[in-house]
Amino acid sequence: MKKFVSLLLALMMALCAVGALADVAADIEAGQALSHDELVEKAKAESGTFVVYGNTSRISTAAEEFAALYDITVESNNLKDQEIYTKLRSENGNSAADMVMIQDGAQLTDAIDEGLVLNFVPAAVADVLDEADQQPALVHQYINKLFIYNNLGDNVPAIKNVWELTAPEMKGNVIFKNPESEKVNMNFLVMCTKDEWADKLAAAYEEWKGEAIDLGEYKNAGYKWVAEFLANVTFGKSDTSIAEEVSQETAVGKIGLFVLSKLRSSSVLTDNLTVAQYDASAEGYEVKPFAGFMYPMYTMINTQATRPYTGMLFIEYLMTQEGFQPWGKSIGAYSPNAAITVNEGDLTIDVWKDTLVMEDAEYILDSFEVEDFILQHCQN
Amino acid sequence: MPEIILKNVSKRFGKFVAVESLNLEIESNAFITLLGPSGCGKTTTLRMIAGLETPTEGVITIDGKTVFDADKGINLPPIKRDVGFLFQNYALWPHMTVYQNIAFGLENLKWDKARIRARVTELLEMLRIEPFEKRYPSELSGGQQQRVAIARTLAPGPKVLFMDEPLSNLDAKLRMEMRTELKRLHRDTDSTFVYVTHDQLEAMTLSTRVCIMENGLLQQYAPPLEMYNNPANVFVADFMGNPTINFVEGHIGEGGQLSFGGMKAKFESIAGEVPKNKDVKVGIRPEYIHIDEEGVLEATVYSTLPSGMETTVKLDVQGTPLTAVVFGDVDYPVDSKVRFSFHKAAVLFDKETGKNIAKGKILL
Amino acid sequence: MDQAQTRNFQASRLKGRLQAWFSKPANIILLVFLISLAVLTLYPLLSMLTETVTIHTGREARAAKLTAGSLSLYHFERLFATAENDYSWIQFYQPFLNTLIVSVAASVIAILFGGVVAFLVTRTNLKYKKFVSAVFTFPYIMPSWTLALFWETFFKNVNIGLKTSNGIMASVFGVYMPEWFVYGAFPIALVLGLHYAPFAYILIGGILRNMDANLEEAATILKTSRARIIWKITLPIVKPAMLSTFLLVFASSMSAYSVPVFLGSPVRYYVLSTKMKSLMDSYPGQAYIIVGVMILFGVAILLLNQKVTNSRKQFTTVTGKSGQISKINLGKANRPLAIILVVILLLVAVVPLITFALESVIIKAGDYSLSNMTLDFWIGTNLSERLDQGDSTGILLNPKVWNALGYSLGLAITCALIAGTCGILVGYGVAKRRGSKLASWVNSLSFFPYLMPSLAFGAIYLAMSSRIPWLRGFLLLGLVGSVKYLPFASRSGVNAMLQLSGEIEEAAVITGVPWWKRMIRVIFPIQKSSFLSGYLLPMVSCMRELSLFVLLVPTSNTILTTMLMQYSEKGWAQFGNAINLLIIIVVLLINFIVNKLTGASIDKGVGG
Repeated sequence: MKKFVSLLLALMMALCAVGALADVAADIEAGQALSHDELVEKAKAESGTFVVYGNTSRISTAAEEFAALYDITVESNNLKDQEIYTKLRSENGNSAADMVMIQDGAQLTDAIDEGLVLNFVPAAVADVLDEADQQPALVHQYINKLFIYNNLGDNVPAIKNVWELTAPEMKGNVIFKNPESEKVNMNFLVMCTKDEWADKLAAAYEEWKGEAIDLGEYKNAGYKWVAEFLANVTFGKSDTSIAEEVSQETAVGKIGLFVLSKLRSSSVLTDNLTVAQYDASAEGYEVKPFAGFMYPMYTMINTQATRPYTGMLFIEYLMTQEGFQPWGKSIGAYSPNAAITVNEGDLTIDVWKDTLVMEDAEYILDSFEVEDFILQHCQN
Repeated sequence: MPEIILKNVSKRFGKFVAVESLNLEIESNAFITLLGPSGCGKTTTLRMIAGLETPTEGVITIDGKTVFDADKGINLPPIKRDVGFLFQNYALWPHMTVYQNIAFGLENLKWDKARIRARVTELLEMLRIEPFEKRYPSELSGGQQQRVAIARTLAPGPKVLFMDEPLSNLDAKLRMEMRTELKRLHRDTDSTFVYVTHDQLEAMTLSTRVCIMENGLLQQYAPPLEMYNNPANVFVADFMGNPTINFVEGHIGEGGQLSFGGMKAKFESIAGEVPKNKDVKVGIRPEYIHIDEEGVLEATVYSTLPSGMETTVKLDVQGTPLTAVVFGDVDYPVDSKVRFSFHKAAVLFDKETGKNIAKGKILL
Repeated sequence: MDQAQTRNFQASRLKGRLQAWFSKPANIILLVFLISLAVLTLYPLLSMLTETVTIHTGREARAAKLTAGSLSLYHFERLFATAENDYSWIQFYQPFLNTLIVSVAASVIAILFGGVVAFLVTRTNLKYKKFVSAVFTFPYIMPSWTLALFWETFFKNVNIGLKTSNGIMASVFGVYMPEWFVYGAFPIALVLGLHYAPFAYILIGGILRNMDANLEEAATILKTSRARIIWKITLPIVKPAMLSTFLLVFASSMSAYSVPVFLGSPVRYYVLSTKMKSLMDSYPGQAYIIVGVMILFGVAILLLNQKVTNSRKQFTTVTGKSGQISKINLGKANRPLAIILVVILLLVAVVPLITFALESVIIKAGDYSLSNMTLDFWIGTNLSERLDQGDSTGILLNPKVWNALGYSLGLAITCALIAGTCGILVGYGVAKRRGSKLASWVNSLSFFPYLMPSLAFGAIYLAMSSRIPWLRGFLLLGLVGSVKYLPFASRSGVNAMLQLSGEIEEAAVITGVPWWKRMIRVIFPIQKSSFLSGYLLPMVSCMRELSLFVLLVPTSNTILTTMLMQYSEKGWAQFGNAINLLIIIVVLLINFIVNKLTGASIDKGVGG
């Protein structure tokens, strides 16, 4: 008898779970059509803790503001991308997130295909954003990593051309986070080998050396640049610590490739740092062929969410000017919504899109061989 | 073979006095036993002579050579004292075979392989342990380990051999066997043996002289039979002999009248002056209490322990207990009445100091 | 007798024997543990093996061009046999070699340092023995990355690594250490060796302490020089302890994660555990293969240990009269030697703490002037206005931190209780039935979890938990922690029980006392301090454990150590250092309190 009852219960729970699955997708469709107030109502009607995973520390601030506004507690957790993807795959049950803020479009594509996450575009921004910034996933912000150097002493590495970083004298002076542990960095390097950028790199090489590039064994200029760049790089622990380290008075002659918004930290001696592209723009040129790279951070709803409507409400909030503030008040965060302006002194997103390497999810998805190549050059 | 001389040797551990002003002379080729209860200082003394323990005071000489002098700051390490030491728990090295254990000391003397082999074989034969040559100690019985330990100690042919209760870990039968072996070995090896034990029977049967100690102090140093017959004090008298000596408190008046334990007698001295008007303790060996129908005094049998060869009879003499020993397979029913008298000699001890005052006959 | 009668007879005989067998609590315990340990160690192993031949969703399926969920040897091919771009060499063979080098070196260092100090403390008249004994277990109590962090912070300079800043050695003393000293194989091995030296100290010291004094005296009498005694008598007898230590430290070093990450990554020196972690995220199949390799090593070590302890040269180290071993007089060398030792220990145990305290109160890195100091990171509020990164309150005011502390404590106590109690039970069973096959299996099985690298162990349980939906959160963590630290508890339990003579319990049996009462009223009180040490060690280990839990911690409730790691990775140095200091203080406090109250100590927990 006991066995039978427990079996029955298990069956019922399974059915509920399946039911719940189907529900979230339906909820999202429904949510797309709701008005703001209706959405708020539905969100408040939900029960349980609202959990968010985000690859950003400022999400806790946004969560606080959101909670103050709508009286809904948000449990925000700052995790790395890979951890979020892993948890999305392995967790089920009520400890899982309702909503995630995540990077790496390539992996996200797979995750969407697998049915791990669902996309929700708030009505308010559906008309304002570019199609590319909405589908297949909603972009909350763009983040850029730039060449930023220490401006003290002689031998300031004020580069005009990325090939300068491959010169023998630059060995040990370039600091970058290990692509093996930072997927967006890996993606950037991969993108360098795409024909579009490889050609630009070949042209930049000619400008720098004054002669055509000799590829030798490399498949294209991108491969060559990546290999020689990595040979000169020392890997740092995290973008924050790299920013701090490069800004030290003793770090004369060093240049790093890291997240621009890290300059907001009080532990970074910003006076000692110069952003290569800022310098260049002021003097009227660009760092050839790119000044760094840029990638989006997306917001998605977990297919297993227990509070999908709250998730939708939160996304809607995040896409507003107010919701964007925790990131927007510092440099280095760019909203796809043109209405939300950038920080003073910063360049606009359009400028960046021209001068930075952007992710191409499709190219990255099947770039395993390139990754192996990069891995090889990450090891001496 | 050397003399060993101890002069005023003391050992203190903090406030605790283990050995107090010990004076001892051990002749060559002697078999000396250090005897006494636990904690009396006998092992400490042994270790001091061997060099494993450093005395607090005193002088020790072996074969005329001063090996220790507290005042002069001389303290030769055991390596230089040319002695052998047999430990109570054998201390065989568990990771070496029997052969390697025995050979170890010889390797230290830098003997060549052939000579070592010859000597080890000699010892294996002497102690009848040839079959175990390649075994490890954990694969041997207690008795076999004992022999290996002896072989190891004898291998370098030391002039003095120290033994710290070597037989106490063996069962009774084996112990008997080994005692005979040890006595034999003493003769064969022509060395001086210094032996520690708490078993008075071992001391009696094995030694040429016994040194009995209590609480760090020397009580008596004499050949076993003399110690048996002329104990220096109550402690020695009580310690030697099995069953133990009978003590009866009494008083001796003028002219040798002795009243003790409800009995009255006259004490006639054989040795020592008869005291006058003194409280005494009378010491009577059990075998000197004869039970037969011509006995003068009467007693009730309290209990008997017949062992086949002899019977120990505990008597009740109007409230005073006396233990007697009767040779042969006799037995007495409990509570029966018997007659007895005192034969041979008894010893008088001063009741206060416990010292031996006089030895004599008890005439009833 | 006819057929039926014979059968009945045999059946009732069997029944009788079974009843008799089951009436002994020791047998029941052993059977229960045999089954549960088999399940708890073998089932996860099987899960893991399955993972190595399964194609996972996401990048793996794409890379292999196979459907997710299908079975294939793809991962093996990839990890072991891919020559293009030196993939296999970079991802497996080189880290494998590095791991071996570092682990062997660490073991040797641990044995040398711990063994020599143990010898000095037990066999000579070294000065300051009390201080040395007290402080020597510190390196183990502190998380292993503590020393690594300190090493880098102290020795870094502008000539090596990132070449951007100077540590204390360079800026205060003007000494610029070379790169091989600060990063790479050397410091990794050194830091790990120092971290595990306490094992050697406890195990080797234990034997030296309990060794029969007579064994060495017998050699002395036979005119053996001091050096020869050490070489031919003391060392061979201590060898089993040395071997045990070597194996323990080797297994621990193999699975060390945070130390190689700190000290190896800046110079691209990788070991198996770092590769495993990075592969786990994107290519779990290959990661699990690495786990399998580490476990194979663990098994090999276990078997080796078995073989050695069952040799003919049975060593009985429990003595009769433990006489006073004459201590070697160090003479003139005593004071300098003692001082050197004290300085080393201070550097290893105390200075790191001071460094963390310092680092947790400075605003801009490298500036140690008072004007640059603040207690904000400890007790400040509204920090987000001033700092623009990190938490908005100092750690002592941050509810998240207190939450984490409470969670960590709760977890540590739970694991300690479970592991400790099971350890006692296992100890009872194994000691009572010693010599039997059942006892030997349970003994080995209960030690096995220790040999599995923590990171791997956690990964396996993660894999398992995805199949078993109710195995989540605290339950999962508690289970993993208990099983992982059971080895310590069972070792101390077995040792404690072996020291008890059987008669003690038999006296209670005769008077009809039931088993559970015997355990509680007779056995436990007598060996209280040994048993309690079996609780203490898991608790301390749990409090400072990272790699075991890092994959399993639910995001809603984090433990202190994962919080610390997050902060470190984000570069929030001050918060990180403050939390680090907090963890260490809590652990030291627990150790101290339990030690004072009950006499339990880490020494007894390791089996010394």
